[in-house]
Amino acid sequence: MTIAREAYKALEAIVGPKYLSDDPAICEGYRSGPGGYENGLGYERVMTKIPGAVILPRTTEEVQKIVKICNRYKVPYVPYSTGFYGPRSHCHVENELIVDLKRLNDFEFDEKHWYAVVGTGFIYAQLQQESLNRGGYVVIGGGGAQASVIANLIGDGWSPLSHRIGLPHRRILGTEMVLPDGELLKTGSLAVGDDPFWGDGFGPDLRGLLRGYTGLRGCLGIVTKMAVKVLPFQPEKLQPTGIAPNTALALPEKRVKWINYVMPSKAAQVKAMYEIGKAEIGGAVTKVPLFWRAIAKAEDKEEFWELWGKENAETVKNFHIVRVLLIGFTSEEQMVYDENVLNDIMQELGAQPRRTKPSDESWIKNADSAGMWLMCGSYVSVDYVIETLKQATEHGEVYAELKKKYTPPLMPDYGDPGWFQSFELGYQGYSEFLIYWDQDEDTTGVDHFYLETAKMNIKHGFYTALIGPHQPMYLTGPKYGPNYHEWMLKIKDEFDPLWVCHPPVPLAHDEFVERAPWMHQLKDWKTPKEFPMPKWK
Amino acid sequence: MRHCIKCKGCYWVDHTYQPGARFATRCPSNVWNDFDSYGAFGKMRIGLAVDEKRIEWTPSLLEIIYADPLCGACDVGCKRNLDLEIELTLEALRVKAVQDGKGPLPVHKKIAKNIDTTHNLYGAPHEGRKKWVTNDIQVAKKADLLYFVGCTASYQSKEIAQATAKILNGSQTPFMLMPDEWCCGNTLQSVGMLDEARALAKRNIEMVKSAGAKTVLLSCAEGYRMWKVEYPKLLNIATADLGFDVVHLIEFVDDAFKKGTIKPTKPVDMRLTYHDSCSISRLADPWKPWSGERGWMGTVSPRLQRRRGTHGLYAQPRNVITSIPGVKFVEMIRTRENAFCCGAGRGTKEAFPDLATSSAKHRLEEVKEIGAEALVSACPWCKANFAQAVKENGDNVKVMDFSELVLASMEA
Repeated sequence: MTIAREAYKALEAIVGPKYLSDDPAICEGYRSGPGGYENGLGYERVMTKIPGAVILPRTTEEVQKIVKICNRYKVPYVPYSTGFYGPRSHCHVENELIVDLKRLNDFEFDEKHWYAVVGTGFIYAQLQQESLNRGGYVVIGGGGAQASVIANLIGDGWSPLSHRIGLPHRRILGTEMVLPDGELLKTGSLAVGDDPFWGDGFGPDLRGLLRGYTGLRGCLGIVTKMAVKVLPFQPEKLQPTGIAPNTALALPEKRVKWINYVMPSKAAQVKAMYEIGKAEIGGAVTKVPLFWRAIAKAEDKEEFWELWGKENAETVKNFHIVRVLLIGFTSEEQMVYDENVLNDIMQELGAQPRRTKPSDESWIKNADSAGMWLMCGSYVSVDYVIETLKQATEHGEVYAELKKKYTPPLMPDYGDPGWFQSFELGYQGYSEFLIYWDQDEDTTGVDHFYLETAKMNIKHGFYTALIGPHQPMYLTGPKYGPNYHEWMLKIKDEFDPLWVCHPPVPLAHDEFVERAPWMHQLKDWKTPKEFPMPKWK
Repeated sequence: MRHCIKCKGCYWVDHTYQPGARFATRCPSNVWNDFDSYGAFGKMRIGLAVDEKRIEWTPSLLEIIYADPLCGACDVGCKRNLDLEIELTLEALRVKAVQDGKGPLPVHKKIAKNIDTTHNLYGAPHEGRKKWVTNDIQVAKKADLLYFVGCTASYQSKEIAQATAKILNGSQTPFMLMPDEWCCGNTLQSVGMLDEARALAKRNIEMVKSAGAKTVLLSCAEGYRMWKVEYPKLLNIATADLGFDVVHLIEFVDDAFKKGTIKPTKPVDMRLTYHDSCSISRLADPWKPWSGERGWMGTVSPRLQRRRGTHGLYAQPRNVITSIPGVKFVEMIRTRENAFCCGAGRGTKEAFPDLATSSAKHRLEEVKEIGAEALVSACPWCKANFAQAVKENGDNVKVMDFSELVLASMEA
């Protein structure tokens, strides 16, 4: 037994012996790596541990009791919904408790006000189908259809559908959160009653505490329940077809249709996104990495490399695609109108429509994030930026330039600037840079690239999503604040004075750089002699 | 094992088909026990720990490895995106347990002993194996088609063997039985006792060849998988190189309906649904030996044709059922490669009866949800397990084998 006997007994009294275990075989199943998101890299190898015990609560009240026990006995704990988010969602210190939240899988739908209330174990694909059943829809985040709705909305929550639907924090309504000391925080309208229909509450918007730009990855408590806004879609059924692996949703073409356009230039590509937004048409407008197209075409990994191996820097540089999803939200006539407007825009920009299948393999219901591992076996999204379309679309080019130095071990993508798209009808632009490598090769270069991107973003003034919890805060904080890191640490100290909730986040990447000898050569920033947090093994 | 990403494609129904709040999962093991270790994603990590000797064999580790019907849902789920060989890995863990002298479980050893002494898994007298053959069934001494009955239909669910034989008789297709039929070895192979399973495979194949049969017909899903997939795997040959065809009764009837050699003329007035048994659906892709090397970025050479469960008998049973007059066919919510296993197969029912029963009851919730009067499957294991769960629940659902349904639609 690795957790103090008294603490274990107290935890067992909450959930019963069936839902608590410190058996080595049970704990081993909760290892982060070696495969998966960001796994196989130095961070996972250096910073993650298998848990000392795993507990499976069923209710918010049980979560509160667990957290209070953890505080009483100084047992570090980490909330865990699906475990997909790689090392950042797993134990970082010895004798830590994983609070596995999959049994918090309740679902309610408010038919009158169009929101769903979900527990932490409820995933996007489930919510999307329940929404579609009622003629509504939500964004399935880039994290994938298998992601916990709550976890993804705290940390991410966007996809090409964000062109129309918008940013995730706008869709988070009343929320229940167990603070790191066990106190229950209710936000939005839940703070004053039982109805979670509204996201705003009295005083400061506590959704900032919940997520900010992105969330703090489990170091500020446990969200157990969230009301999520559902938006009107269209009434026709999207019919699932095919046998795995070739499954897709057949689209009712008069109401839902993807069209791919080849644009004559990058400038035209970006202009198209602006204009489509300005015209207020489309359900999604995006440019995805070119090799995703090869993934979609390939029968297997070997065929992918045959297809992708035919590309080169020139072909990639000169291929500009825009994918547009049209949705007849109100009627078939509206769809016809939107398509006519789209055609006018694209014609003016010299775009050529490509033959596009009348089906959806990814984004509406099945955000296919797991497909990202097909080519190389390892993958992580290094960072995201939400800015103007102009800046967002330049962001990826800077990454691509830096990446050349680290290819290999990174996958050759011939300078592709990653994924970019419009958010909120072009009012904002989004860029995400994804990298791939073979975890069986030396990954030092990948670790270096990851950290170098933080320095690159500082140099170019990109205010990206993961500069806080995913990079050394003593590197990024003084540059973005100048006291951003101090502010973050004060929040942590205020809500979690014992640092029992997922230590050493948010200083985990700082700690990683200290512990990994191969990272020392990159350290050209100042840190205190000792990090201002309790010592953890 | 090193490349599992915890996307849990092994656990959830394919997202394209994801039905919503209810019936969202397809892993009987991880529904029975919620800890991650009971899902394939946990077992991949445990497998690595076993391989690297970081974990001791304990009763709890053996439970994790054996409390699993190896239904293949995880395998097809993973191959939706990642093409990892989950099913082979889970099987390999059991082989490792046996090699290390820790597996299989005591109840499996008892079955192995039964098979060794009486050639059937129940330990019933061998001489009673053909007692299911009644006077109204004609068995040829020599025929192109050999009906391999299997232990369960020979001893426990004789109605399936009888219905199958009568269908064959009704279609005017002569068939023979093995002069001396022994167990197919499904449980042995499933629990990791490969040497014993291989000996049976060799013996049974030899018997077919010496009988001169061109086709082996099965009415048992597990037997079908054994003959079509596991025997070639055990002997490191391709299914195509067996020297005879392997067909399930479903394929035979589908073909016979199309040719008109069987005519379903008698109405079966029933609202019924069909359960895709794992071993004739996602586990049924033919076997082809492969050896090669791992290259850059994990590509393999020579190119490997992955077994993704796409060659399962999905359309054929539905063709047949919907051709029967009077039948009101209604699909379950989870169908084909997304079907939720009954939980009985591959050594599970014997070692973990509560897992098998709870899985069957879970599936029956779905049957009730769609309002079916009858549940049809094409495997004696599924039928027996569902029938027991119905009895325990007191449900008003008739459990039928595919062979019984087809026979009911044929004029006497």
